[in-house]
Amino acid sequence: MENLISINCVQLLITALFYTCISCSSVEQKIYVELNKTAPCVRLLNATHQIGCQSSISGDTGVVHVLESESDLDWILSAGPHPPYMVIMETAFFNRSVMLSMKNSSRVAGVAVIISKAGLAEHFSPHTTCPNQNTGVYSAGSEFANCNGTVWNPLGNGLSYEDFTFPVFALKDENQTQVIRKCYEDHNLRVNGSAPQYPLCAMQLFSHMHAVTDTVTCMRRTDLQNKFSINPEILCDPLSDYNVWTSIRPLNNSARGHAENESVVIAAVRLDGRSFFWEEAPAAEGTVSAIVTLLAAIHALYPVIQEAPPLRNIFFTFFQGEAFDYIGSSRMVFDMERNQFVMDLDNVHSMLEIGQVGLRGGRDVWIHSDPVSRRNSSMEKQVSEMIKDVNSSAAGLNINLQEPSVSQPLPPSSFQRFLRVRPIPGLVLTDHEKAFNNRYYESMYDDAENLNVSYPPNLTPDEQLVYPTDAAKSLAEVATLVARSLYTQAGGEQNNLSNITADATMVSQLLYGFLVQKNNSWFRSLLPPEITKKGGSSILSSGPPQFYIGLGPRLQSPVHSVTLFVQYILANLTGNVTNLTESQCQNPKELSGENKDLYSYFWVSGPSSGNSSADPLCVRASVRLSKAVSPAFELLQYGSSDYSTWTESRWKSIRARIFLVASRELEMLTLGVGVAVLLLSLLVTYFISSKAELLFSSARETPTTTY
Amino acid sequence: MNLERIPNEEKLSLCRRYYLGGFAFLPFLWLVNILWFFKEAFLKPAYTEQPQIKSYVKKSALGLLLWVAVLTTWITVFQHFRAQWGEVGDYLSFTIPLGTA
Repeated sequence: MENLISINCVQLLITALFYTCISCSSVEQKIYVELNKTAPCVRLLNATHQIGCQSSISGDTGVVHVLESESDLDWILSAGPHPPYMVIMETAFFNRSVMLSMKNSSRVAGVAVIISKAGLAEHFSPHTTCPNQNTGVYSAGSEFANCNGTVWNPLGNGLSYEDFTFPVFALKDENQTQVIRKCYEDHNLRVNGSAPQYPLCAMQLFSHMHAVTDTVTCMRRTDLQNKFSINPEILCDPLSDYNVWTSIRPLNNSARGHAENESVVIAAVRLDGRSFFWEEAPAAEGTVSAIVTLLAAIHALYPVIQEAPPLRNIFFTFFQGEAFDYIGSSRMVFDMERNQFVMDLDNVHSMLEIGQVGLRGGRDVWIHSDPVSRRNSSMEKQVSEMIKDVNSSAAGLNINLQEPSVSQPLPPSSFQRFLRVRPIPGLVLTDHEKAFNNRYYESMYDDAENLNVSYPPNLTPDEQLVYPTDAAKSLAEVATLVARSLYTQAGGEQNNLSNITADATMVSQLLYGFLVQKNNSWFRSLLPPEITKKGGSSILSSGPPQFYIGLGPRLQSPVHSVTLFVQYILANLTGNVTNLTESQCQNPKELSGENKDLYSYFWVSGPSSGNSSADPLCVRASVRLSKAVSPAFELLQYGSSDYSTWTESRWKSIRARIFLVASRELEMLTLGVGVAVLLLSLLVTYFISSKAELLFSSARETPTTTY
Repeated sequence: MNLERIPNEEKLSLCRRYYLGGFAFLPFLWLVNILWFFKEAFLKPAYTEQPQIKSYVKKSALGLLLWVAVLTTWITVFQHFRAQWGEVGDYLSFTIPLGTA
């Protein structure tokens, strides 16, 4: 009988615990409002520094204060009685002076920036004034070092390269911003300048970063952990992804080193961008303008190339990770030098790079070249020849070609990485003479609006997709120029030039896909079925893609979504449709007439017409990926000053929530009362158990007599 | 084991064994020796083996004190300078705290 009672007791206890646990989650829901549409600022490291933001391991909490005026700043930094504060600010206040005054204050627990277009400053660039200044061709000692003479991004405030000891989050969702504002106005508003009363609205931000100091330290610690620890933990990963390349005549991908009888004109653009916040990089003017131009130029070139192939090969390459000290281009050059690439530097005839070309105020396109290599007379001859070719290609186009003064250095460009190794004749086409026209360089505001891509109201998505905006028409002109220049440069016949014209609709589609909506009918028809099928992959989520390079092993696909898009667009633009089946397409090695060394085979969804679902098809194209991992990680030189050493810290959780806090006195009182009750109960139990004989003697006798 | 119940000679040999064992870089044996035999050495009425036990306990205490001093100094120095030492500090560490220099 006693056993039975004790079992019952245990059961009761378990059920009680069970119910407490269920109710404890609902208590959590009652206390906290989770903010799930946020973007954090995370820690990045290079050979010598750490940049970005971090919270403590258990999150940083502060009383919410909305920064709306100078007096609010004073309240936060000195007058307010409830430090530390969690500062909520509109983007208008998100500038260097405000952020640095907060960085130097111990009264700031964190910052949350409301991302909205309202009240956007005239210009905002969190990047440095001289992008990639230490890894270009004009390194220390050169007369052009550190943008001496030409500051490319004078609007840059360098916020992205500061190290903040508190978390900084971006609030992307209007509704959640409203919730925070309401919480603030209900509880934290000053009444006639006097301090608000508890309970106050507070916010907690979690973004604890594992890596610290610099890449050297974090890679060393990661290696050490892998050697000795039972439970090894990786602290940081190199920023890495893939370059995309293709050529008009296929190059044998299994061959390495010098390619016999190949002379190659390289056409290059970059694939990535960045901003202050993690994975919030629309990079419209910074990157998309160039990608779209080159893709449209390739589209314009292909029909002509089929009929009248030029003398030389043209090699199109899209470099990934260029925003972080030229990861992609430095790797390709490194591979070429070590004979680890399909060709080497001797195969390179010349190079044409497209920079930012989307904001041509008038009709100007500027042709930049390297003043240092042009001092050599034979180089000078080749470069001026190239410039002459570009000029002759512009005939009949609505483009006014201009050259900056001869002594002006190159803008930040992948071409600089080639020049570091050897002088190669080459040009960089941009829309700016000196400083960038882009007022939002490497920021979250470098979006479709910055590039003036806007649509008349009442258009359906499919109408918007092909709507020729002014930006599209302008970029199509540049694309035509690029295509014709490349064709001339590769030794093509002059009389074919008039047949090369970029299609404005193609440019419109590309702009729409890269800047407005990646999940559109055209992109879906180009991508593999496993990505385009419903619920197949988060790669095709709504909205534009983001261009921050990120880390190597990815969840959704082996490569960055932008890399994947460019790869498949290229395949569809340059490839031939074959009649292979799906299994043959994935493994065409045994088939006669197919060659895996020369071509890649892509299984794509195909266009869907009307209501019928699309028929997948196999496309054969010479489109390839090549690794974009900095050579510093190949050579294990984590402190390298020649190569990019950027790594991204790992973290366990990134989240944000708001709740009401009581005053410290009340919190302490509650804790004190709790402890007192505990001690009292212990005391009572002790007395009861010591006097048990006395207290329970009669009670124990009664039941025994009943049995 | 209850010390009350064993003869004095055995107490002495036990105390000596713990004292000698402590030299194998085991300062905790000395600590145990002190805790265990303090009463026997200093508080009990005198008996033949007591002076010897007393001396073992004293020596154990000295050794323990030395260890405590050395360890405290080292731990203080290590915790204070680990970040500054950089590479050396990492190689001397078994676990490295996340997110701190």
